[in-house]
Amino acid sequence: MRLLQANEVYDAIRTPTNFTREETEPPRFTVGQEVVVRNLNPRGHTRLPRYAKGRVGVIERHHGCFVFPDTMAHGKGPHPQHLYNVRFTLTELFGDHDGNAADTVYIDMWESYLDPVTS
Amino acid sequence: MDQITRSDGYTQPPPYVALRIKAIQSLLVEKGLVAQDALDEVVDIYENRIGPKDGAAVIARAWVEPEFKARLLEDGIGTLAELGMTGFEGAHVLFVENTDQVHNVVVCTLCSCYPWAVLGLPPAWYKAPQYRSRVVLEPRKVLAEFGTTVPSEKEIRVWDSTAEIRYIVIPQRPSGTEGLSVDQLAELVNRDSMIGTRFATPYEGAAA
Repeated sequence: MRLLQANEVYDAIRTPTNFTREETEPPRFTVGQEVVVRNLNPRGHTRLPRYAKGRVGVIERHHGCFVFPDTMAHGKGPHPQHLYNVRFTLTELFGDHDGNAADTVYIDMWESYLDPVTS
Repeated sequence: MDQITRSDGYTQPPPYVALRIKAIQSLLVEKGLVAQDALDEVVDIYENRIGPKDGAAVIARAWVEPEFKARLLEDGIGTLAELGMTGFEGAHVLFVENTDQVHNVVVCTLCSCYPWAVLGLPPAWYKAPQYRSRVVLEPRKVLAEFGTTVPSEKEIRVWDSTAEIRYIVIPQRPSGTEGLSVDQLAELVNRDSMIGTRFATPYEGAAA
C-alpha cells in the first residue's frame, strides 16, 4: 500500500467521490407524484429515517442514480438506485403538534424505500 | 488545565475520548498505515484553509450577482467546481434560498452530514442528538433557541441530509447593505446562516 504523503493531502481532499452511476432503468417515480415510505427495518445500515416510515410524501426532485449505502456499507456492492428528494408536511410526519401546518421536511430517499400511493 | 493537573499536584489522565483518539492515531502511524505529517496536514487544512469563509464568499457573490445566484441554484456543484470548492463531503451540493415566504434549515438526523468542502467542519451542536432529533419535529422552537424567530406566515423547510447530497442555505441579504462590496457582505454571512439556524448578521451601518 502506498502512503498518502502530506503534499498530496490537499488534492485528495479536493477530489470529490462521485456517488452517481449511469441509469440502467427508468425512474419509477415522477416529480409531483405521491409516494408512501415502506416500513423497512433492515438488520444493518440504512439511510431511511425511522420517523418517515409509513408516511406519505410527494416527489420533489429526482437526483439521478446513486450508489446504495445499505448494501455498500456491508461490502455487498454499490447496487445503484434512483434517488429522490421527497417532501413531507410536519403534520403527516408527526401528527398533531403545535407547529405550523405549512412547515415541511425534505428527505432524500432511494427508490426501494418507496411505493406509489394507490387510490 | 483543570483536567490535567489537580490542585494536589497529581496529574489526571486526559479524557477518555482524547485517549482513544491518541491510541488509534499512534497505532495507524506505528503500523505505517498513515504518515504523521499527512495527518497534521489534514488537521491544518480544516483548521486554517477550508471553512465557512469560503461559503460566505459564495453567498455574498450570489447576493450581488443575480446570474451567479441562478447558476448556484440550478447547478450548485458545477458552480462550486469552477471555484475549486468541491471535494470530500461536497461531491453533490444543492443550494436552497431563503425568501420572504420560505426559511430553510439543514440537518442530518442520521449522523452529521455537512458540506465540508464549502463550510469546513460542522459545529458541535450540529452533531448533537438534541439538534438532530428536535429540528425536524419542532423547527420553530429550535430556531427560537438560536435567537431566530421565523414569522408564522413563513414556511419552514427542513432538509434532512440522508443521502450524499449536501445542502447549503442562501440566507436573505440584510437590509441597508446596498452600497457594500462583496467582501464587506461576506462578513455578514455567518456560518449558522448557511445552515439556516440564524439569519445573516444585520448590518450595523444600516439606518435604524
